[in-house]
Amino acid sequence: MRQPPVNRIAPDAIKAWKISAALAEGVIWLVTIALFVLAFIFEFSYWYGAGAALISMITTVLFVFVLPKVRWRRWRYEVFEQEIYIQHGILIVSRTLVPMIRVQHVDTKQGPILKKYNLASVEISTAATTHEIPALLEEDASELRDRISALARVDEDDV
Amino acid sequence: MFEAKRLHPAAIIFNLIRTVREFLFAIILGFITFRDESLLYFVLILAGLVVIFIGASVLTWYRYTYRIEDDELRIEYGVFIRKKRYISKNRIQSIDLTSGIIHRIFKLTKVQIETAGSGMSAEASLSAVKLEEGEAIRAELKTSGTHQQAADDPHEETGEWAEKTNPSSTISFKRLFIAGTTSGSIGVILALGAAGFSELEQFIPESFFDETLEWVIGLGIIILIVMAFFALLLFWLLGIAGTMIKYGKFTITKNENELFITRGLLEKKQSTIPLKRIQAVGIQESIIRQPLGYVTVFAEIAGGSANKGEDFSSILFPIMKRDEVEAFLETFLPDYAGLHELTPLPKRSRKFYIMRSSVLFVLIVATVAIFFPSFVWAPVLLLIAGVFLGRLRHKDGGFNVQGQRLTIRHRVFSRNTIMLYHKRVQAFEKKQHKVQRLQNLASMTLSIVGRMGTGTHFTIKDLEESHVDELSDWYSRRN
Repeated sequence: MRQPPVNRIAPDAIKAWKISAALAEGVIWLVTIALFVLAFIFEFSYWYGAGAALISMITTVLFVFVLPKVRWRRWRYEVFEQEIYIQHGILIVSRTLVPMIRVQHVDTKQGPILKKYNLASVEISTAATTHEIPALLEEDASELRDRISALARVDEDDV
Repeated sequence: MFEAKRLHPAAIIFNLIRTVREFLFAIILGFITFRDESLLYFVLILAGLVVIFIGASVLTWYRYTYRIEDDELRIEYGVFIRKKRYISKNRIQSIDLTSGIIHRIFKLTKVQIETAGSGMSAEASLSAVKLEEGEAIRAELKTSGTHQQAADDPHEETGEWAEKTNPSSTISFKRLFIAGTTSGSIGVILALGAAGFSELEQFIPESFFDETLEWVIGLGIIILIVMAFFALLLFWLLGIAGTMIKYGKFTITKNENELFITRGLLEKKQSTIPLKRIQAVGIQESIIRQPLGYVTVFAEIAGGSANKGEDFSSILFPIMKRDEVEAFLETFLPDYAGLHELTPLPKRSRKFYIMRSSVLFVLIVATVAIFFPSFVWAPVLLLIAGVFLGRLRHKDGGFNVQGQRLTIRHRVFSRNTIMLYHKRVQAFEKKQHKVQRLQNLASMTLSIVGRMGTGTHFTIKDLEESHVDELSDWYSRRN
């Protein structure tokens, strides 16, 4: 665990994350606009709206423009014959080891945003935990799923 | 056991009780609404309902049959819609026998059967069968599992085992009493009392409160304190009684491949824990018991249902002296015997621990100091307690690796020492934030299989980074 894992996830992940963050931010902006409208109708101070606008602005810059890139740079994974090694986290960096013989099943998942960029995420489940490798290229994801599933098919000692 | 059998007729009583309990609220509500004008109608309706309930209970009992056939427990039930439930022998994880007070009058028992990953309630539950019948069912359903085990280990068939009496340990009355006095269940009972009271509140007329309040204020502060003291004493005594009823006659016996636990003064519960389902063994020292040198031994077990409460099947022994643990584990779980010196946390991580456990109180102190300066002593006391707890948490954290076995110790309020094997760990995680990295510290989380298919996670924060790396190398299967 001294060396980080070698493989990066797909660079398009940044775009996909930006879009989903932008959608969430859209809701916050709608609330801000609603606040201004309400302030106009019910004649209370515009300062509430201004505060909300400031918060929306800061979170938009942070979540849409800054964090996806940082997050992508941190995200690494590596699949060995015996185990899966994952690194992620922006402020708190987390490195996880999942032994192959503990893997119960592997899924690939794809939402509309990931589909737009031909991406998919791989979800690895053990009896106690689930781990997700987000946003790999579609063919990489299914290849990885099949590979993990094949490697996980070793004789299992009792759980 | 091929022929289909019905439950003991006493099951009708249990069915009836269950139905009545479901409708109890409606009945009480009806009584309150109709008590003045149309009480007669209400009584008539109630009588009709009672007849229907009794009829339904009898029918339910009549239609409920069970049999053991083709290595399966087959239950058929349902009055209008027939339902069949077949449970294969080798899917059964545990069979618990419970005898409540009514059961004991008729010498009956309730059989609860669980399979892996079952949800909230037992997979199958035979609410009333004769005690010997219940034991026969258990013996019958268990056989396949034991044969398999015996085949795995030829030594066990040599008869050496049969001659040996199975080791067993029972709680003494004195210990039981100590367990009760130190149970710390006061808090729980208080909370329950408060919850119960808030439910009752709506039925008590408003004037009652006013009158009581005036009366209480009239009594003066000293009498109030005395009353509070007695209330606490009462709760404490209730706690003792509760523990004694729950853990009375607690006996643990080791059979070949399983631990067998019986407990309960009024309601007798028996349960079996197959040794191979034990994921980890832990020693818990609560803040009250630790200075007295008493501990609780528990096990983390995969599967099982949630409604039984985790402290039932997972407690291996409710109370014992710290220095008796070694002998206890030697007898019942030799794999987990042998306590080792732990590697403590580095000194520089103490500040993180103290900060985490006191930051909330610092904020409270600041707020109170601004708004109610005269009451600032109260949060300051909490703050001191927080700092103290942080120091304790830091002092108690530690780990030890011995071959395939890992021992970790940490404290939330109680100090837990947990022993687990490499093969039981499902995932290993190292976490590090920026400040930790500057200080060469890291946190780690170990996940094992817990109850109901969810994991149990053990986290130790702010270890020496090199130690976490060593542990990850120990865990890694690459080398």
